[in-house]
Amino acid sequence: MDAKLNRRQFLRAMAIVGGSTLIAACGAQATSQPTAEPTAAEAPAATEAPAATVAPTVVMEPAQTSVIDVTYWGSFSGGLGEAEKAMVDSFNASQSNVKVNYQFQGNYEETAQKLTAAIQAKQTPEISLLSDVWWFKFYVAGALQPVKDLMAAAKIDTTDYVDSLINEGTRKGDIHWTPFARSTPLFYYNKDMFAAAGLPDRGPATWAELAEWAPKLMQLPIMPQPTPDAAATTPVPTVSPDAKVMAFAHPNSASYVAWLFQGVIWQHSGRYSDPDFSIRIQEENGVRAGKFYQDSVLKDKWAYNAKDIGADFLNGLTATTMASTGGLKGFEKNAKFKVGTAFLPEVDQFGCPTGGAGLSIMAGLPAEKQQAAMQFIAYATSPEGTTTWSQATGYMPVRKSAVESDVMKQYFADSPNAKTAVDQLAKTQPQDAARVFIPGGDQIIGKGLERIMIGAEDVATVWADVKLTLEETGAPIKDAMQAIEG
Amino acid sequence: MNRRQIPLLRESLTLVGFVILNITLICVFTFYPLIQGIQLSLYQWDFISPFKTFVGARNYVRMFNDRTFWQIMRNTFVFTFSTVSLTVLCAFGLALLLSLPLRGREWTRGVVFLPTLLSGAAIALVFNYILDDRYGMLTQFLRIFDIKSPSFYTDPFWAMVGIVVTMVWKQAGYGAVILIAGLQGIDHTLYEAAAIDGAGRRARLWYITIPSLAPMLLFVVVTGILGAFQSFDIIKVMTNGGPINATNVLVYNLYERGFVNFEAGPAGVLTVVIFVIMLVLTILQLQVGARNNAV
Amino acid sequence: MPSNTRPRISLPLMLAYSAMAIVVILIGLPLIWMLFASFKQTDEIYRMPGTFFPEQPTLMNYPAAWNAVPFGRYFANSVITTVAATASKMILALFCAYALVFTKAPKWLKDGAFLLIVAALMVPSQVVIVPNYVTMSMLQWADSYQGIILPNAATAFGTFLLRQYCLGLPYEVVEAAEIDGASHWQRLWLVIMPMAQPALVTVGLFAVVSEWNDFLWPLIITNTNEMRTLPIGLYRLYQTEGLQNWGIIMAGTVFVVAPIVLLFVRSQKFIIEGIAAGAVRG
Repeated sequence: MDAKLNRRQFLRAMAIVGGSTLIAACGAQATSQPTAEPTAAEAPAATEAPAATVAPTVVMEPAQTSVIDVTYWGSFSGGLGEAEKAMVDSFNASQSNVKVNYQFQGNYEETAQKLTAAIQAKQTPEISLLSDVWWFKFYVAGALQPVKDLMAAAKIDTTDYVDSLINEGTRKGDIHWTPFARSTPLFYYNKDMFAAAGLPDRGPATWAELAEWAPKLMQLPIMPQPTPDAAATTPVPTVSPDAKVMAFAHPNSASYVAWLFQGVIWQHSGRYSDPDFSIRIQEENGVRAGKFYQDSVLKDKWAYNAKDIGADFLNGLTATTMASTGGLKGFEKNAKFKVGTAFLPEVDQFGCPTGGAGLSIMAGLPAEKQQAAMQFIAYATSPEGTTTWSQATGYMPVRKSAVESDVMKQYFADSPNAKTAVDQLAKTQPQDAARVFIPGGDQIIGKGLERIMIGAEDVATVWADVKLTLEETGAPIKDAMQAIEG
Repeated sequence: MNRRQIPLLRESLTLVGFVILNITLICVFTFYPLIQGIQLSLYQWDFISPFKTFVGARNYVRMFNDRTFWQIMRNTFVFTFSTVSLTVLCAFGLALLLSLPLRGREWTRGVVFLPTLLSGAAIALVFNYILDDRYGMLTQFLRIFDIKSPSFYTDPFWAMVGIVVTMVWKQAGYGAVILIAGLQGIDHTLYEAAAIDGAGRRARLWYITIPSLAPMLLFVVVTGILGAFQSFDIIKVMTNGGPINATNVLVYNLYERGFVNFEAGPAGVLTVVIFVIMLVLTILQLQVGARNNAV
Repeated sequence: MPSNTRPRISLPLMLAYSAMAIVVILIGLPLIWMLFASFKQTDEIYRMPGTFFPEQPTLMNYPAAWNAVPFGRYFANSVITTVAATASKMILALFCAYALVFTKAPKWLKDGAFLLIVAALMVPSQVVIVPNYVTMSMLQWADSYQGIILPNAATAFGTFLLRQYCLGLPYEVVEAAEIDGASHWQRLWLVIMPMAQPALVTVGLFAVVSEWNDFLWPLIITNTNEMRTLPIGLYRLYQTEGLQNWGIIMAGTVFVVAPIVLLFVRSQKFIIEGIAAGAVRG
């Protein structure tokens, strides 16, 4: 307990960075941006509640009298990790026939690496957290347990899951990937800067509007971060006067940028691919969208590629950014300015993908292990479970009844930014096959965007290359999928 | 069996007994995986499906027709060449300096050698922070002169510079220590004789020091090449091979294809490519070494 | 370069001392920066323009890092695996090198064994990770000390180094011992080991450094905090606290770096000579 107190004290003291990396927490598997998010100060407090309040949703006949051990591989660290751990602990405390062992395996990508190796070695955990770009690969390999029957046996009303979210994990009419830590991109802006620049207190309706606003924002000097205690004794440090705010920051991680760009390409009436894996990124609208990203950085220069969008946004280096809803808590907590959120800006139309991670049970387990694993998933994604999780982390509630519950309504009233996120959720769609179903598709697209934005290469040429690579890489999974789904 | 064969048999058994454990472990944990890797280069597989598809040389054809592969080969060469040449230059300079009769040179040798011992992951984190173009030490130093720090994370050229500098910082001390020992081993009478013959400082360096140091220089070059060629943790922690693959080298790419994209075939091809390069390097090293009667 | 001149204050000498000072600064600065940053508060780290010396030094980063991940456990694991793998490497290399040089087995047998060793030098460790993970898991040794240690228990490099060194040892001494009736076992321990000590120390030092700092294999083979080693722990801290929380990350880096620095300060001369001896002599 001492250790925990120390940690909390310390976390409270972490003024600026807090949630900076949180935005990397979902959507991307964060190769260069860890899935970390040190906003733990609140998380444990918030997640201590469910042990007392959440009644176990599932009452199962114990398959045997002894305790069934279930191993759960998770990918969350920092505050998210503590919330996840707290979820497991409260589950273990809530009943006595199943014991879940929580094992942190690194970020999404590393968890998938471990799981691949574990499948090779035939030593898998019972449950694994899998991100949007990873679960399909395991599904195609036949490594995931279909859970519809298990859910029915556990008396879970599957229609209560938010439709778009549960549908993503449903293949051939059966559920393989249960929504848990799901998110969407969100537009964030610095309200203080908008006020200083004389802009309205709202997000831009279109990207063109942001480009219009950009010159005003870019005249603002970068404000030095105040030092709470020292401000009186030490002179306020000054920044060289030529250092100006940027209007928008693109993230640095290939997978993450490909997630955000998914929305942008839809806004340009384009798409990465069709559901049958026909690649469409190289088509006219895809090139337009790519050109838009390129110009924002290289020609119009109101945007730049940030090493860490979260840190730069919190430190006032950029006035706006696009990041996961999972970053909301950290931003609100750590920003020394008022954080505004808005729907993603439009171009021809609105476009916004879902992202994040879900839970899967590994195939080939004995029945009692399957049931035990389902018992935990049922608990974690129950209306009460998802409410607790959502409020502690900023991830989307995955159950309709949770969204409509009084607890959540009160929460939305107190936290308008969280409301923006949930309102936007209704307008989101699942990502195109090319990013989430082709292994490494996110990397291929993201690296293409690097060539466009950093390498200043011709967009059409880059997308033509990307198309070829996606087709080559996608061919085997397409075949495998046909073998499985016919 | 005659009398000569009995000791021969006993000697053979002794040999086998003495080497068996070492060689068994090496076979199980080095050769067996290598053979598996080579085998996988002929298949299409994602590491988890129950079936592998035999595709013959297709993975090779694709790899060698892939622009990125050649970019990675070039990166590997640039990284290895610049790391090794800078390391050797620095090590040589350091060795000459720290062989002078200066006070505190023992202590300085220690300081210089220390980075060699430290964890690559830890060093990479420290340099990550130093080179951070907003909050790092370098950018703050440059700001004094009103120079904008290059971006070591979004500029392909500077990303490579960043990892090379980190490698050289870490490795130079090791080379220096080897070369200092080498300098100590040079026969003093050579210098005295040369001085009598009126050879200048430069001539002595060129005709005595460097040739006498050749075996040690070779050793430093070879270990430097192997070290740079196989360096993984620094790249993984600092750049993840980016931006735009600018710091993606063969070994990192092997990790990426194998562990990030789970393409067993291309990973197998890279295994073969790396093995062949190492083979050539090692043969060269042994030949040069044999000629120099060293290493 | 050895020089006959005695030290006296002259221009070249001053230049040499200045060069030495610059070298010390260049090498030392990153480590000093690491140390200072570990004493800085977060807002000082993110102040622009920043500071070099911590203005309001705090020790808070240390307990924070220590509590964020179980460094104590990581430290113990690092010590256990490093000691075990190093001991194993030294012993196996010694046996192997002795046998390759001093037994009178047929040449083809010796050459064959040696060839295997040399060939193993050419295989980068990244190549072998997946199959080794599978092997270890089949033995149920994933996430165990055996799992971490065993693939690193043998050494091609150490054997190679030691063999080259042994080739340079006077063969007559071994022959004399043989004539006196010493067995191979006795010759190995009583004659060769004392003579090969410099190279053996080199092998050991290389092993300590490579085991202590090993990254990829422990990253893959360990699943739980009970088994993770220090570099993995540091990487976990980096992930846990995020890319940007440099104060705590640098404090964690100090935990990883400090034991080696202390060890080095205590036995600097021994280590430097040890590294050089085996390499140069060979």
